[in-house]
Amino acid sequence: MNFIGLANFVEALQSPEVYRAGWHNLIFFLAIVAFQNTIGLFLAVQLDARPRWVEFYRTILFMPVIISLVATGFIWSLMLSPNIGVINPLLKDLGLGSLAKPWLSSTTLALPTVIIVQAWQMLGWSIVIYLAGLQGIPRELREAAQIDGATGWQVFRHITFPLLAPSFTILTVLTFILIFRVFDVVYVLAGPTGAPAGATDVLGTLIYRNAFGSTGAFSGVSLRMSYAIAVSVIVLVLLGTQSAALLFWLRRREVKT
Amino acid sequence: MSTATDHQHRGGFINRQAVGLTRHIVLIVICLLVICPIVYMFIASFKTIQDFFEHPYGLPTVWEWQNYIRAWEEANVAVTFTNSVIVTGLSVLFSTVLATLASYGLSQPGKPLNATLFMVFVGGLLVPVQLIVLPLFILMRQLNLFGTLFSIIMPYSALGLPLAVLVLVPFFSALPSELGDAARIDGANEWQVFWHIMIPLVRPALATVVILNGVWMWNDFFIPLVIATKPAIHTLPVGIVSFFGVYSTEWGLVFASVSISSLPLIVAYVLLTRQFVAGLSAGALKG
Repeated sequence: MNFIGLANFVEALQSPEVYRAGWHNLIFFLAIVAFQNTIGLFLAVQLDARPRWVEFYRTILFMPVIISLVATGFIWSLMLSPNIGVINPLLKDLGLGSLAKPWLSSTTLALPTVIIVQAWQMLGWSIVIYLAGLQGIPRELREAAQIDGATGWQVFRHITFPLLAPSFTILTVLTFILIFRVFDVVYVLAGPTGAPAGATDVLGTLIYRNAFGSTGAFSGVSLRMSYAIAVSVIVLVLLGTQSAALLFWLRRREVKT
Repeated sequence: MSTATDHQHRGGFINRQAVGLTRHIVLIVICLLVICPIVYMFIASFKTIQDFFEHPYGLPTVWEWQNYIRAWEEANVAVTFTNSVIVTGLSVLFSTVLATLASYGLSQPGKPLNATLFMVFVGGLLVPVQLIVLPLFILMRQLNLFGTLFSIIMPYSALGLPLAVLVLVPFFSALPSELGDAARIDGANEWQVFWHIMIPLVRPALATVVILNGVWMWNDFFIPLVIATKPAIHTLPVGIVSFFGVYSTEWGLVFASVSISSLPLIVAYVLLTRQFVAGLSAGALKG
């Protein structure tokens, strides 16, 4: 055994590839959070109004959560495929051919596409967490505001939303941890190199590729394994400190509101 | 004055009707967007290769049941399905038994180390799998478990502990200690108290733990991708990906395999929706 000190760490911290992958994780996280707090929260509010068939809606909306990310990746890679897919042929037949795009092979569209696929799989989760939060808010509070003449939006903005802060905190922190470890969907949709040209490369695929090679098969013990471990240690330290900081910051916000 | 309020009331009523209708339309549209890919997965599993090109989004012209038989035999699903059942079953069993025993101990009052040990267990949730999988790979090789199903079952059983302990400890702690005391006075030993009194009372929490761990263990891809290097110990997700790596045009077979891998969880989910929804968000809501 040969110790090389901190060389692996130095190399990792100077590698533009590592920064690019981390940047993609960050965009991924922010986009998912935005998605959860618009569409996810909106749907939770709709379900909280207890429309008829609420159980049915909830059953459908939560279903993708139990579908594996590998299955999710396959379903979407076929649907998005340019020739035999669903989306492009459907757009063409609807006369919207100009909207048909090379979703997964364009360097600008690939990352947003991968994010949308992951968002589809995780949607039900944010709905259920927000729904539980909404149901924990005493109805009297909202009713009292309504009697005082507040509109639906005002009630939501000034009463419901601030009281949902604990749900927002837990959802955001868990999403942060989950997305900085994201791997399966990227691997199935874009391969271990984060195709095209690293446009979808995230820390998970970067570590995997360096440790086990990009062919997927094992070609003996990779020389880059120690480098991969160094990168994953950096990720662990960042993840630990940043999620603790995020939790602290969001909790403080809860107290203030 | 009275007509004004009357008007307001009627306006409110019509308004509410409109809001209700819009709500249903929005929910139905989004439900369709959510469910279509899943329905599409099943439809695609019955298509021939020709159909994929000629009717990309339509129903199959011929329902090709052969896809399932061929997936079972040629795409190695017979092996990977069995492996997934064994791995998930045993890992859920081991992690639930270990977590139950640990949580019961951790919930006993008056043990100074309990809070610290609880944090150690739950801290496992923060560890990224990418980090432990490399040392795990080396460890399994040195334990000579490499190439056996136990090389997947062991890490799963351990990784199932943090969530299980997180769910179970508060449950055990909430049980009144008088229950155990009463049984002890009647002559029950510690094991009898645990097995005959405590376990039946935490059954709902055990169901949560089984669902929570069962779902991710069945679906997990990363650990077997690294650890299961031989096709003989592939689980379903890895088996499908490696089949696709070789036969990338056999979409019908791939989707038959994907459908087979998703069906058990979908059926269980539809039968036990309430428990699944509660179970899968339990980890989050506990935090």
